[in-house]
Formats: sequence, structure tokens, C-alpha cells
Amino acid sequence: MLNYIIRRLLWAVVLFIGVTLITYVLFFLLPADPARLAAGKSATAEDVARVSHQLGLDRPVHEQYVLFLKRLVVDHSLGRSYANRRSVNEMVGEAIPVTAALVIGGAILWMLIALPIGILSALKPRSLIDRGAMIFILIGISAPVVWIGLLLQYFVGFKWGLTPNAGYCDVIDPPVGASCGGPADWAYHMILPWLTFAILFAASYARMIRANVMDTLGEDYVRTARAKGAPENVVIRRHVLRNALLPVVTMLGLDIGVALGGAIFTEAIFNLPGLGRLALNSVLNLDLPTMQGVIVFATLTIILLNLVVDLIYAWIDPRIRLA
Amino acid sequence: MKGKRLLGIALAISSLSLLLVAAATAGPTAKRGGTIVLDMTTDVDYIDPQLSYYGETWKLEATTACKLMNWPDKEGAAGAVATPEVASGLPLVSKDGKTYTFTIKPGFKFSNGKAVTAQSFVDAVNRFANPKMQSTGVAFLDIIKGAQAAVDGKAGSVSGVKARGNKLTIQLTKASPDLLARLAMPFYQAIDPTLARQIDANGINQYASCGPYYFASRTPGRSITLKRNPNYKGGRTANADTIQVNIGNSVDVEFQNVEKGTSDYASGGIPATEWKNIVAKYGLNKKDGRVQVRPQLDVRYVAMNHSRPLFKDNPQLAKAVNWAVDRQAFSAQGGYLYGKRTGQILPPGMLGYKPAGIYPLKVTANTIKQARKLAEGNLRGGKAVLWSSNAGTAPLQAQLIQYNLKQIGIDAEIKLLPRAQQFTNAGNPQTASFDMTVERWGADYADPYDFMNILLDGKQVTQPQHNNYAYFNVAKYNKEMTAASLLTGPKRGVAYAALDGNMMRTNPPWAPLVNSNDRIFLSSRVGCVTINEISGTGPLLNVLCLK
Repeated sequence: MLNYIIRRLLWAVVLFIGVTLITYVLFFLLPADPARLAAGKSATAEDVARVSHQLGLDRPVHEQYVLFLKRLVVDHSLGRSYANRRSVNEMVGEAIPVTAALVIGGAILWMLIALPIGILSALKPRSLIDRGAMIFILIGISAPVVWIGLLLQYFVGFKWGLTPNAGYCDVIDPPVGASCGGPADWAYHMILPWLTFAILFAASYARMIRANVMDTLGEDYVRTARAKGAPENVVIRRHVLRNALLPVVTMLGLDIGVALGGAIFTEAIFNLPGLGRLALNSVLNLDLPTMQGVIVFATLTIILLNLVVDLIYAWIDPRIRLA
Repeated sequence: MKGKRLLGIALAISSLSLLLVAAATAGPTAKRGGTIVLDMTTDVDYIDPQLSYYGETWKLEATTACKLMNWPDKEGAAGAVATPEVASGLPLVSKDGKTYTFTIKPGFKFSNGKAVTAQSFVDAVNRFANPKMQSTGVAFLDIIKGAQAAVDGKAGSVSGVKARGNKLTIQLTKASPDLLARLAMPFYQAIDPTLARQIDANGINQYASCGPYYFASRTPGRSITLKRNPNYKGGRTANADTIQVNIGNSVDVEFQNVEKGTSDYASGGIPATEWKNIVAKYGLNKKDGRVQVRPQLDVRYVAMNHSRPLFKDNPQLAKAVNWAVDRQAFSAQGGYLYGKRTGQILPPGMLGYKPAGIYPLKVTANTIKQARKLAEGNLRGGKAVLWSSNAGTAPLQAQLIQYNLKQIGIDAEIKLLPRAQQFTNAGNPQTASFDMTVERWGADYADPYDFMNILLDGKQVTQPQHNNYAYFNVAKYNKEMTAASLLTGPKRGVAYAALDGNMMRTNPPWAPLVNSNDRIFLSSRVGCVTINEISGTGPLLNVLCLK
């Protein structure tokens, strides 16, 4: 087991270096000069050269990358933004809770939608519920998140005025001058983002749960349980759902990990100051340190969650260790 | 007795009715106090006075800064002359035009209670030039004696700026008649001694200022709060108690918020398709009305790269392009009241602007015929690379230009780039692989130098980074531009007008397209709308009031 863990950890390090290196190389392949951008529109050649030196952009790419790794490992620093010179650690740190609130709240909502739909559809195949659920699934999977978000924003938020159309409220310690704050305002402002974020996942999860439950219903041990006279609710709860939901839980862990890397569309539509919006702005501003900061966080989250899943699997199934 | 009582009742009723009628028909009255809310699409760069260089920040700093010279809070011509603010009058200028002496008016105070002195302006220039601040606006210091040495770290302060009592002396390296306009830029605002000591390239997010308002707080990416300066006695209006800026909403949300009244000003704009609807709904340019449109000091143009074979020493083809481009269709892509079509370099309202009527502002069969005639024999293969931004309406506008070029025999390949990449690459001779690029320039300060010399002086084109995207380098015009920059008063205007006309007539560097408008959408809550496009886009926030 120890060997397996070491092997997985080493592989995680390689993966991390690979992802950050590719980002670095891609950034420098772009035919654009962040120093020119930072120097302002009336800057002279000398101004641009000075800014380039200040940002460390006049060094060779490999030197800049090594410096980035050293700063990350030794100083635990992601550097400073080219666009506004703020600490990237600070910016990423401020954005994480917002994205986490969106993703975790959205995940709870999508499971609350997907579980009953998936189970009921599987228990009553080809019924009205099943057909209705299939329509929901088809729309949820086909409709782009942006379209769903904009529709909800326009009708629910603007036209009907049922919820705020955009914006974020802090649960605690809102900034000076903020028009809202506290748990109630926070949740009120998150309703539409959660819904938007949940619809796509709810649809695909409902489909997966339906398929898994239907498969499990045909298993021998379910037939045996029924033959032994177990009540239907016990058969469903203990024998069907426990087995059918195992892969769903695994998927949930991985999907949350990926989503934590930045729910770009939902955050952009509803003006949530999370990692997705941070990533989007950094790309538009050619702001490599911020872009890299978000990528480092996303990569680490995905690697860690994958590692946890792998370790749990290895613990459950010894054959994986041997492989 | 009964008659008198009846008469009394009748009089009382009449008086009350008159009062009610008067109240109902009266125009909106300024209410001092309350909070004005505005939405911005993207965050500002900094709010630090020596670092900020975004138009959106300058809009806010117009309310927080006090300057030697400033643009009055007035519309039109009355607001277009840089006027002494903290200076007690116009400066004394030495005979050689290189030394300016200002006298500081007493009574101006920072929001922390400290007095504004001549030293406050010296501190601003020194902080601006301090290499540790890494300010990107230092190009605007180039005319001040000793500034370059300070920027290069060879001197601890700028030797050309000195304070003695209430006198401030500024020495220049050359006579520069645009100094007064430059001094109205936020970089040169007075700063208090505490900020003067805070040398931080990351910028300061809270500091005392001496204008009608001060920055009470900033949460980057989220919000900015401005409060009324309790010590301000400078005479400028400060109607609202607080100006609250919310950052990050899309233009769709900004439109919805202003329409609902949860925000008062869509500073980032609204969707292009909505302008026509809201003008129909609320009217245009009514006194204190919700939709206001004003021309701004900018120009959108197609720069023709004179360093590449297609346009090098080929003025006939450059003229043909100017005859062929459909400025009307280009403008229509930006939505209703997008701007005014133009065929000139300088925008209306700028010193030196004189309508020349050289090129058609509307395409007809005859104009195309004329364009083809000019292009004939000058196509040099007829292939071109056209650069454009990939955002908003830019790709559609590029397609229109592509179609116009096709009509005169140029087969243009469009290359869409992120805006940041487009202009950084266009300004670098190593990467400027375009024949034409669609560009925009907005004034840093209201002087033709900021358009003509900055954008077309050929001395720049060999530098690794510049703004002369036309790579226009004609010795005659370079000389005339330098000469014009040294003139003052009406002569300056005449010289720049002649340059504009002559260049466009004989050897056009660009095909100017549109001078875009500042389109303003306000909520029903606000009144006291005053707009001064020289001072910045949008309504003057310190004047804006709640009804």
C-alpha cells in the first residue's frame, strides 16, 4: 500500500509540473506582450522595456518557470498580477469560497433534483414520470449553461423580480458600502446561480442514476431479497440504492473537483467573484500569474481528489494495487 | 360672516390646488444626500492617483481630485477650457515658455483635514516619477525638467518642480503649450503628505483626497465607495453623500439594474440593440432625462500600414479606401446613436478640428466608381491582411470593411485577435504583419498633440512599441507636427487643422470612420445631469443627484 501511495504521489507531482509547464509555454507562444499592455497606451519603447524588466518578462522562459516553481514551493507565493499587481494568493484566496459556495450548493441542489427523478424513472419505466423526466434530461443536457443562465436571469430576476438578477453578498464581513450581507442575502443571491449550475449536472446524474438503478434491479441478490419476502422499500433502500449509488458518489467527487477549478459561465453571467471569473479576466488581460494561480489551484484540487478516490479504491479492492 | 368663511375656504382650496399643481409641474429638484449607485463592467486598474490610467478610474477621480488646473463642471464650451482650480489664476510663464509659476489658492483641504499646499503638487510629481512606483503614465512627464532622471533612478526627485511658500514653479525641457491640459490629468492632482510617503507599486486603495469626494474603500473586483469630503470648500458641487460603484456586471445586467432602479448609471454601457428602444421610451437629451448622448473625443479608424508593400508610397490606394469604406454601415453595427461618421483625424470638439469634407460619409454608386478609379493600377496584387478585434461588434465591422475593399479589387483576409493582442502586435514592427487594422483612440487630454503627434509622428515607427499603427513616416509631416506642437493659442489650432486636412487630402494614413458617442442611460431616481466629455465620459458624478 505504501509503495502504491508513493507511486501515486510521484505521479501527481509529474502531472502538476506538466500542467503548469504547458500553461507557461502556451502563454509565451501567444503573439502578445503583457508588458506593452501593462505599460499603457502612450508608453514609449523605454517604458515598455522598463515594465518588462519589472515584471521579469525579459528573462528566458525556462528561467521564469524555474523562478515560478521556486517561489511556489519555497515562499508558497503565486506571485503578483500583471494587471493590478495584487498578490495572486490573495486573489485566489478570496475567490475560492465563492466558487466553493456555488459548487457545493449546486451539487446539493442537483442531487436533490437528480435522485428522485432518476429513482422514480427507473422504478416506473415508460410511465408518464419517466417520459417527463426524459424530456427534462434531454433539455438539461442539450441546453447550454449560458442560455439557461441568461433566461433565468432575464425572466426570474428581471421581469418577474423574484430573485436578484446578479451579484454576490458575503455571508460574513461584507465590504464597506455593500448593499447586502449576511446568510439570508447570500442565499437569496445564490438561488439563480445554483439553479443554473445544477440543471446540466442534474440532468446527466438523473440519467446515470436511472440506468444504474435499472441495472441493479435486475441483479440476482435483489430477486433473492424479494423472494425472501423483504418489503419493497427495504429492497430498494438497502439492496438497490446502496449498490446503484456507489459509482454516483465517485462521479460526484470528481465532478466537484473539476467544477471547483472554475465555473466560468455561471460566475460570468451572475457576476460572482469566484475562480471562474478570475480565470476569465486573467485570460483577457494576458495576466499570466493570475491565470497560473487559478490553474495551480484547479490542478491541485483535481489531483488531490483523484488521489483520494484512487486510494479509497485501492483500499476497497486490493486487485488495483497489484495492477 | 358665513360669506367670509366660504371665501376663506375657497381661497384655501385655491391655494392648495395651486400648490399641488405647482408641485406636480415643477422640475426635479436636487436632493442633497443619499447614495448614487453605478455599475461598471470591469474593475478599474488602480485608484492610486499616480498609477491609475483607465478612463473608468479617471471618471471617479474627477470627483476626488483637486488639481492646479481642471475642467469646470459645465457642459459644452464652458467646460472645455482648463481653468485654475487650486491655482489662484493662470500661471506666469517665462519668455522662453519653459518656466511656469503658479500661486496656490488657500482654503483647499484634504479629507483628513490637512491643507493643500504647493508642496502637495511637488509630492505628486515626485511620487509619479519615483521608479519604485512603476507608474505606467510616466510618458506624460517627458516635458518636465529632471523628470527622466528621476524616472531612471538617477535623481531622488524631479529637479524641475519646486515649491516655495504658496508658489509652485515648473520648469520644462522645451516650451510645451499643452502643459495646462496635461496638468488637468489625475496623475498631477495634489496628494497629502501621508500618501506622498507611501511608495508602493501595488497602489494604495484608501487615501485622503482634496476634491469634493474621497475614496472611502475599495474591494478589488467587487466595489468602490466614495464619500463626501467633509473638509471640501472648493466650490464644486457634491450632491450625493455616497457614490457606490458595483463592479463586474455584464451590460445586460447593467441595463436591467438601471431599468429597475437598483442602479443609477450603466457606466459599462447597455446592449447595442437596446439604445433605440430606450430612446423611444424615454426620449433623448431631455433636461435631466434618462438617456443622454454626447460626442466624445475619440476616433475609430482603419490604419493602413505604410511600411508594407500595399500602401508604401501608394497614396492613391489609400485615398481609394477612404472613398470605398461604408462609414454608415460600420456605425450601424454599434447600435443606435453609435457615433458620427468622419473622414478626418481630429475629432469634433478638439482644438484644430475643421470640417474638411474630403471623403464621402455615405457610400453611393458614384463614390464606389470614384474609389475604383483611384485604385485602378495601384492594387499591387490586390491582397491584404485586415486585423480586427474579436470582441463585440468588431468582427461584423471587419466583414463590412472586407466587403468595401472587395468592391475596389482588394481581397482582404480578416484576422481576428483579442483586443490586447491586436494593438500590442500592431505597435511592434516585429509582429505588425497586417496591411490594415481597425483601431480606436480616445483622448488622454484635450489637445491635438495627443492625436496627431502621438499617433502619426514617424519618428516612432522604428521603436519596438508605438501607437503609429499606420507606420506613417513622412519627413514633411513629421516636421510640421513638431512645429505645430510648439505653437500656442489659435495658431496651434490652425496648424493642426492644416495638418489634418493636408494629410487626409494628399496621403491619408488612415481611413477614419466614426467619432463615437458617449451614450448614457440613467435610472428614474437621478437628476442634475451635467456632462463634460473633456473631463471624462458619463455624467459628472459629483453633480448627479437623487430626485
